[in-house]
Amino acid sequence: MRSPRLPILLLILLLSCRAVLAGGGKPAVSGTVTDNYGHPLAGVLVTVKGQKTATVSGEDGVFHIDAGPGSTLTFQHPRFDFAQVRVRSTEVHIRLNERFLITQQAPIGAALAADTVALPATASDKVNVLYEQASKASFLGSISTVGSHEIGETPASSILYALPGRLAGLDVNQTAGFPSFNSASLTQNNIFLGTFVPNNASGTGPTDNSEFSVTLRGHGQSASQNPIAIVDGVQRELYSIDPRTIESISILKDPLSNIFLGQNSSRGALIITTKEPMSGPTHLDITAESGAQTSLGLPTPLPAYQYAYLLNEALLNDGKPVAYSQADFAAYRNHTDPYGHPDVNWYNTIIKKNPLLSRININAAGGSNIAKYVLNLSYMDQQGMFVSSPSNDFNTNAEIQRYAVDSKIDVNVNKNFEVQLQLFGRLQDATQPGGSNGGTSPAFGNGTSGILSALLSTPNNAYPVYNPNGSFGGNQFYTENLLAMVTASGYEQSHLRDVLTNLNLKYKLDMVTKGLWVNASGNVSVESQTLINRSYQTKVYTMKAAPGSDTAYNGFGSSIAQNNTFGQTAWARYRYFRLSAGYDRTFGASGVSAEIMADQKRQLFNYDLPSQLTNFAGKASYNYQQKYFVEGAANYSGYSRYAPGHQYGFFYAGGLGWDVTRERFFQQLFPWVDHFKMRATYGLTGNANVDNYGYYIWREHFQNVAGTYSIGSSYTSGQVNSWAEDGTNGSQFLPNSNATWEKADKFDGGVDVAFLHNTLLFTGDYYHERYYDVMQQRGDNIAIVGIQYPYENIGKDLYQGAEVSLTYQNHAGNVNYFVTGNASVQQSKVLYMQEQYEQNAWNVRTGRPVGQLFGYQADGLYQSGAAAAAGPTLPGYTPKAGDIKYKDLNGDGIISQFDIAPIGKGRPLIYYGLTLGFEYMGFECSALIQGVTNREELENNAYIYEGFLSQNNQYSQAYQQILGRWIPENAAVATSPRLTAGGNNYNYNPGYPSYVPSSYLNHNGDYWRLKTLSIAYNLPYSLLRRAKIGGIKIFGSAQNLFTHEAFKGIDPEVSLPSYPLQRVLNLGINLKF
Amino acid sequence: MRKYCLILGLCIGVMSACQKNYESVPLGQQATLDDVFNTQDSSGQQAILYLSNCYLEALPSGHNRITGDYLDAASDDAVSSSNTVSAVQMIATGQYTAASPNADDDWAYNYNVIRDCNVFIKYIYRVPLILLLPDGRKAIGALRSEARFLRAFTYYRLLQRYGGVPLVGDTLFSITDNVQLPRNSFSDCVNYIVSECNNIKDSLRTAMGVDAGNYGRITREAAMALKTQTLLLAASPLYNGGNIDGSDPLTGYPSFDATRWQAAAQAAQDIMNLGVFKLTPSFYDAFTTQAIPVGSNPEVILWVQSGASESIETKNSPVGYGSAGGGGQTSPSQALVDAFPMSNGLAITNPASGYNPLNPYDNRDPRLAATIFYNGHLWLNRAVQTYDGGLDKPGGTSAETKTGYYMRKFMGPFESVSSSPPVYSNTIHDFPYCRYAEILLDYAEATNEASGPTIAVYGVLDSLRKRAGIDPGTDGMYGLAAGMDQADMRAAIQNERRIELAFEEHRYWDIRRWKIAAQAYNSSPVQGVDIQQFGTGLTYNRINVLTTAFKDPQMYFYPIPYGEVVKNPQMKQNPNW
Repeated sequence: MRSPRLPILLLILLLSCRAVLAGGGKPAVSGTVTDNYGHPLAGVLVTVKGQKTATVSGEDGVFHIDAGPGSTLTFQHPRFDFAQVRVRSTEVHIRLNERFLITQQAPIGAALAADTVALPATASDKVNVLYEQASKASFLGSISTVGSHEIGETPASSILYALPGRLAGLDVNQTAGFPSFNSASLTQNNIFLGTFVPNNASGTGPTDNSEFSVTLRGHGQSASQNPIAIVDGVQRELYSIDPRTIESISILKDPLSNIFLGQNSSRGALIITTKEPMSGPTHLDITAESGAQTSLGLPTPLPAYQYAYLLNEALLNDGKPVAYSQADFAAYRNHTDPYGHPDVNWYNTIIKKNPLLSRININAAGGSNIAKYVLNLSYMDQQGMFVSSPSNDFNTNAEIQRYAVDSKIDVNVNKNFEVQLQLFGRLQDATQPGGSNGGTSPAFGNGTSGILSALLSTPNNAYPVYNPNGSFGGNQFYTENLLAMVTASGYEQSHLRDVLTNLNLKYKLDMVTKGLWVNASGNVSVESQTLINRSYQTKVYTMKAAPGSDTAYNGFGSSIAQNNTFGQTAWARYRYFRLSAGYDRTFGASGVSAEIMADQKRQLFNYDLPSQLTNFAGKASYNYQQKYFVEGAANYSGYSRYAPGHQYGFFYAGGLGWDVTRERFFQQLFPWVDHFKMRATYGLTGNANVDNYGYYIWREHFQNVAGTYSIGSSYTSGQVNSWAEDGTNGSQFLPNSNATWEKADKFDGGVDVAFLHNTLLFTGDYYHERYYDVMQQRGDNIAIVGIQYPYENIGKDLYQGAEVSLTYQNHAGNVNYFVTGNASVQQSKVLYMQEQYEQNAWNVRTGRPVGQLFGYQADGLYQSGAAAAAGPTLPGYTPKAGDIKYKDLNGDGIISQFDIAPIGKGRPLIYYGLTLGFEYMGFECSALIQGVTNREELENNAYIYEGFLSQNNQYSQAYQQILGRWIPENAAVATSPRLTAGGNNYNYNPGYPSYVPSSYLNHNGDYWRLKTLSIAYNLPYSLLRRAKIGGIKIFGSAQNLFTHEAFKGIDPEVSLPSYPLQRVLNLGINLKF
Repeated sequence: MRKYCLILGLCIGVMSACQKNYESVPLGQQATLDDVFNTQDSSGQQAILYLSNCYLEALPSGHNRITGDYLDAASDDAVSSSNTVSAVQMIATGQYTAASPNADDDWAYNYNVIRDCNVFIKYIYRVPLILLLPDGRKAIGALRSEARFLRAFTYYRLLQRYGGVPLVGDTLFSITDNVQLPRNSFSDCVNYIVSECNNIKDSLRTAMGVDAGNYGRITREAAMALKTQTLLLAASPLYNGGNIDGSDPLTGYPSFDATRWQAAAQAAQDIMNLGVFKLTPSFYDAFTTQAIPVGSNPEVILWVQSGASESIETKNSPVGYGSAGGGGQTSPSQALVDAFPMSNGLAITNPASGYNPLNPYDNRDPRLAATIFYNGHLWLNRAVQTYDGGLDKPGGTSAETKTGYYMRKFMGPFESVSSSPPVYSNTIHDFPYCRYAEILLDYAEATNEASGPTIAVYGVLDSLRKRAGIDPGTDGMYGLAAGMDQADMRAAIQNERRIELAFEEHRYWDIRRWKIAAQAYNSSPVQGVDIQQFGTGLTYNRINVLTTAFKDPQMYFYPIPYGEVVKNPQMKQNPNW
């Protein structure tokens, strides 16, 4: 195979010629060039500034050049920042700094020095595609890549934190600030009989991504449409890996480059590559860092006196008697009666100010041409947001500790036979407070999530933290104390264990015929998750002080002794193997390559039968003079969870490319364009998501359901489980024996352009993806059938959009700087959904964007009782001044389903990221700004926006958001409806009992964040060289430093009761040897 | 080269070998028809388990059924104490439409129950069941009839709510079937339910022939009771002469026919003639003891097996009992309290009754104390305090009675308990869908309509009042006026039914079938009492609690869910919805 070349490379080869040692009697300068590790760096172009004198560093990093004192030497390398030094002696030792972006850049000075030196050919750019690397020149697909610096400098626990705003087309939306805790047992244990009902995982294995939703090109509507994560060539959903252990992450977006995924090819592939072996002497890279976290976007609770006053207002609005007197207000305001009239800011009480996130990474790599290795060790400790109690000698705060080892060994057994072995191991121990543990009022659920729900809903005046006698405060309505839930409820520990082994064999069969190779690779990976529950519960007390008598304490809630249970919460085994053979050869101007492949992925989750995806695929490509490219691929792919006879399908894709820069006319017309390639791909892809709709949905069956009617006079006799037809009670579906994968006709067209000596790079893509056979419930699902209709292959949706990315990197003197930005725009449309007859055009969903929000259209608030009385009504409700006025679209005087219309503008969503930075004399700085436009946000967090919800015979907490409520005095500027207590469906859920939002609650959801900022200083090489230290870098970085949101208040992505987003201020040191 | 082919071959070999480790379809939790309705299983264990799921679905317990409230809290008998807009309040104020159904509107759920029963009805004969009933008959017939009963009972519930509904018979629809069925007429549905009851009656167990292990199964007498209830419904004014939509066969009969009342009276008479059932000596025991022959309760005929718990007490008793618990969920109305006569049997409006508005709860029908907590009612060793600021109506932010009353019915005898602090203990809380007292009242109502106030009608009321503890008086009339005409007697029966069957999901339906719902909901707001304490004295003021609304006549029927009408051109919506 002739290696395809980049135009840059071509340029170098064309223009360079033999190095000439210029005479002239100038004293010779010699020296060494090293990389970040202090290891010799070959291939560096060294020139004397302003002259044609040039040389190239050798294998030992040594160079000799004629340059007088006072002249300036410049150093250039495709992968390293530009550097220049003034010559002061005959010896110059310099360390070059690796570029922040992974895009390579040929030395600009190469042209100047072309007459004098021959630069060695550098390896051309490769891109990580499915299961292998491909040459960037011949790659026809659409790919975005982010490199190790951008990922590694993100101060976070998992790699997904580094992705928002980095990869065009990939929408990474954060939903929580901390991994949630899997404490659900694998079985539903019956406490009476000890029998169990297995919980079917139904295709969804244990996930280590509970904090993000990841969608590619806006397609999140189909189940399982998130991209397939491929870690080092193996399909494994592993995201919880330390960002510093990553070499690069790429997203493959087009049909052609994903077609080998067969029935999953619609989903796209997220190619995660961990650090690769490096040859040479041992490279040692050690980073230790620690950051302080702060919870962001927490709502501000009302102090008790304000709460009491506004609750009275709400009750009066409802025509109910008021709850608080003047004396109550005074006691709350003056804090004169902390036990009878408590005013507790629970946020200040249970949230720890600056919990730490600490990480240590050690990376060692080295080896020879025969064998090379890399060893990555990482340790991470992330503390949670809760306070601890000194009275516990154990940890109750949420915490995650992770130990990971990743090692890879590449061995060239002989000149034709390569063996790669990877072993990856991960231990992750997570703790959370016991939280609400069997408490009945209010029932919050256990652990962190229960505490956060309670935090959101408990009013400041609910109960005091402690009573005078030191016991926890509480009462009959709040039988659990929030602080007790945090510090006096014991703990739960989850233990996650992962092992992944990877063996890859490649044999070149050039002796059979030139360019032929075979490849076999296999992987076994297991994951196991267990839970230790050592939670308990303490009683709460109300002080009852009767005048003239002793103080008495009434106990509420229950005292539950500490549990000590152990159980398995998830178990998974993945097996993957692949056999492939290929042929790459060039005949004159024609390049030919072909590959056939068979692979199988088998997943075993919990009690499920294995699910198996098998592909038999092949592809072939041809290029003429590296100028015209054509490629085709096909895949016969089967998934075991479909009905026999319906398991296999045929998928195909093709692509065309044209490297216009290779045309003579183009070079003449546009000599300033370094590279211009046009490419297009088309394919038929699939998404086998049947598991999301049940376990073996094609099969008519009966399912064991928990609970039964107790026949017999003792009521508990007999079995406690019974049978239900086709599913569990309430979710019984008719079998769908015709279920098949969702399909998509996908087109992607793009251009790659480079200008200005490759300093300015542009990539643009347009896509048009028509999905069909999308799983939906039929529109005419008549209930008389007595069971739910299954999800069937009904829907047709269109997704289209564009992505652009623009990168500029250059230097001004010793200042190296770069800017790279990307933006994605996406729009969707429902083409068909078997919608039933709608009498009004505005009710119709077909033709609208997929996922368009529908609801009642609001027309402000009623400003007077007269206007309210004259307005359209919701049956049985009489609107009052201060209520939302809904538009009666069909004019029948009633707000009903016929007035439901699109709310929100449904504009194409745009999301973008901008990374910029510079390096100067060892000082580095970079920043990422990430944002979304045309986003809309529904304020459906009723605890925050509505307040005073009914909660266990009481009223829940209220927040500052309600201060802008409608009252006659500020009618014109009111930001929310009049206050009501105990929930008001008219204003907040007019479609009750089904949830129908209104446009009053829908806001501009645009935001941008200063997502990452990092500053670093590299100690001068002159100081370290004698100590044999390659580099010492001291750095500080920050995550989520600043957010600008269009709708002020709470965080645009994460709001309670989800675990809040964290700001991290991080300091660390990096050593390289 | 050959070496590598060998390796390749080996790999493929391993690959195909691995596939044999697992079965191709799940066994175990995904059972097939043959596993559940096993053609070898002579004990029918799995099939009987399947049937128990049908029971679970078809017989929902009426206790706090409507998202925490009793259905009666949606009638003129009570309101919910909830501090939010409760589901029952939304029903009582008419906040529901075809697209936003009320919380009791469970069309799809009921058709799901019917299908689940049909599965059993269709497949149970595959099972070679050898179990025998105590009388020696094969149990398989009884089990199948139980499923048919549950299906008929579900149709009865649909009939109450929607009028005539599609009858699907024994059909199990599949994905390819056309289910765009029209509604059957009201009359068809009544006839279907009655004929089912008649057909299954004799194959079921008898009430006295149930052993402890099968306690709770549907009996012959339950089928007869359902027949009585259905015929009484069909004879009622709403359908029999009062069709709200002229001669629409879906909403009732085209015209009045007195024989429908006779049929209902006869069905009730058939049960009375069995001689199996009696009123329990104490009204309290009708709700907290198990039925004969296993228990001592000779009154309950059809009930939901709810078992023993403290849940009714903790959820519904007054709020001031601290750690013993008391959610005070239901606030009975002043109108219900007023409906109870004095202990001499005279209505409180009767000047001779001796009613003292300053002491309104003294000398009342003992059923008042058994049904309602009022101020001064003894509970857990202390007097209930529902005066303003009292322990059970403290004011403030927590939910409490809105009417000055709490519901007492169904609870165990915790007026005085010996433990300290006083707490509840587990009590039987089976929910009665039909008691003998109801059959007697059905009989009285139907007979009065068919033949006027006969001696037998008087006799029924006397027996209920006697059991209640009302003083028979010197004339032995238990406070009933002698010589009442049919209308007076109708009012007396309706009042007796209201107080005897309060909170048992009767009043809500009775005011509809009597076609007096519009009056009950629209004539006045639901009232309660505001009690103020001055020193040791108390004043009682009536207060309005909730303005109810009923759209006459459309709300006599629930709307067919909007989607069902849109998706099915054959489906006719109820009038005015």
